[in-house]
Amino acid sequence: MAQQVNAAVIKRGAVKGIKTTLELAKIIVPSTIVVTVLKESGVLAEVSAVGAPLMRVFGLSADAALVLISGYFVNLYAAVGSILALNLAPREVAVLAIMLGFAHSLLVEIAVSRRAGTPISAVLPLRVGVSLAAGFIAGRVL
Amino acid sequence: MAVLWEGLIQGLLGVWSVARIVIPLMIILEAAGASGILERINRAASGLFRWVGLSEEGAFPVVVAVFFGLAFGSGVIISYIDEGRVSPREVRLIGVFIALCHALVEDTALFAAVGVPVILLLAPRVAAGFLCCWALYCLMLWRNKRAVQPRVVNG
Repeated sequence: MAQQVNAAVIKRGAVKGIKTTLELAKIIVPSTIVVTVLKESGVLAEVSAVGAPLMRVFGLSADAALVLISGYFVNLYAAVGSILALNLAPREVAVLAIMLGFAHSLLVEIAVSRRAGTPISAVLPLRVGVSLAAGFIAGRVL
Repeated sequence: MAVLWEGLIQGLLGVWSVARIVIPLMIILEAAGASGILERINRAASGLFRWVGLSEEGAFPVVVAVFFGLAFGSGVIISYIDEGRVSPREVRLIGVFIALCHALVEDTALFAAVGVPVILLLAPRVAAGFLCCWALYCLMLWRNKRAVQPRVVNG
């Protein structure tokens, strides 16, 4: 596996970086637009009122629920898109980042984990459980 | 219309702040992969991984996942496991570790781009990865008192 680091390697890295950027642009831009529209139209306020008590457990404002949902179900890029569209305090963004670090892109990543020999029944409770526990702690400490 | 425009601008600015970090990092990662540095990190960290029940062979998929993530790293991780290079017990330990702690380069860069301190992004994931992996290892040892050292299992 060990080889030489040369121009071809650098180029391969740059191409991968640009491809990743294009992939994330396809997700960040639409999710930021959708969240901005939801926010401005007042739909977000109504929906997040439902999740507000739960968000308070993590020391988060009601709107943060949208960031968690987009991170858990879609991926971290979608979560960042939501963060960009909402006016969250820096400490809220930090709490969300810690929670989402443990659990994100669950639909895709759980499939990878399963393929690598870890059953869904183990990996899903582990990731979501640690994510919620970390949010509970971070919400108090930060 | 103004709302759509505002969202678009916000989104594009977000893409730019992430791209600025992700592109250089991908170059560094690619160079790291080619230089064989992952193997060296694996060897250097093998003492640490032995504590949580992983042999040097078993820790390699973990090192790959930590640096490259589950998507980019899945090829290496799955082929390692399919080829039977790690024991079934280690497959479990690897699974727990990488579920909590993977893609530390990309994920950390992403949230650092929106202003979260790097230590808050790295420390909890590394700590939880080792802690949960160690807890499972202890449970395995407790369940099977005749369990031998992982080094011997693979030897």
